[in-house]
Amino acid sequence: MATYSLANERLRALEDIEREIGAILQNAGTVILELSKEKTNERLLDRQAAAFTASVQHVEAELSAQIRYLTQVATGQPHEGSSYSSRKDCQMALKRVDYARLKLSEVARTCEQMLEN
Amino acid sequence: MAQQRALPQSKETLLQSYNKRLKDDVKSIMDNFTEIIKTAKIEDETQVSRATQGEQDNYEMHVRAANIVRAGESLMKLVSDLKQFLILNDFPSVNEAIDQRNQQLRALQEECDRKLIALRDEVSIDLYELEEEYYSSSSSLCEANDLPLCEAYWRLDPDTDSTDCLSAPLLASPEPSAGGPLQAAAPTHSHAGGPGPTEHA
Repeated sequence: MATYSLANERLRALEDIEREIGAILQNAGTVILELSKEKTNERLLDRQAAAFTASVQHVEAELSAQIRYLTQVATGQPHEGSSYSSRKDCQMALKRVDYARLKLSEVARTCEQMLEN
Repeated sequence: MAQQRALPQSKETLLQSYNKRLKDDVKSIMDNFTEIIKTAKIEDETQVSRATQGEQDNYEMHVRAANIVRAGESLMKLVSDLKQFLILNDFPSVNEAIDQRNQQLRALQEECDRKLIALRDEVSIDLYELEEEYYSSSSSLCEANDLPLCEAYWRLDPDTDSTDCLSAPLLASPEPSAGGPLQAAAPTHSHAGGPGPTEHA
């Protein structure tokens, strides 16, 4: 749903950034490991080093953008909206359904007992 | 309108601290990584013996690698703080989430009420038929063990057994003449099925 995704879109972007930070550390480790070998695979080395640098720059750019957005959007006031009223109404509707089910089961039990008798 | 939306000092400071942390951590990762790569270069001329230089380089690389990991963890903490800040202060998305939730709950409530109304209509038809059947069958019977539905319902206390509720009218019955067949029927009420109702079925 497009409306709901907007609320989670930024959070999902931040989760992607978290995964990318893990990838940064992994790339750095792979480069250093490759350097420690006697015969280094230069192509792998270059690729991993380029990926490391690109990831670091991407993470920095994304996080800067998020902080910039928050600077524009944050008001410093607490949000006072809630969904309590509709939640209460829904709860009452479910209670009505439960009550109807209870009464119906009582009627059914009474009918069965009368049939047995 | 003259007053621009001004962040409180604390929020402004907080966001600036986030920026600083980001810059510091990224700089730390890049610098330490670069230094490790530089240290990996083997030099022919060293001030100390090769073994000592090797040990020193080894220790330096360990420390720099630990610094890279620490900076990475600090970045993860920063992302976590940003997520928290976003959830609390990103009003557009909070408003949207609240509207979404309200819509869902209202839709569920309407569906429950709609189904209850449909159930009411069906049950009223069935109840009408049941009542017709019941009153047409029980009105021709005059036996005391045939209780009205309300009487049977009231006598069904949670603490009493079903056998008690049928023996109860026997005790309360004012007609001793009806006690004979009733006394025979009372212990066998469960399987007799009441000769009365079945005869008139």
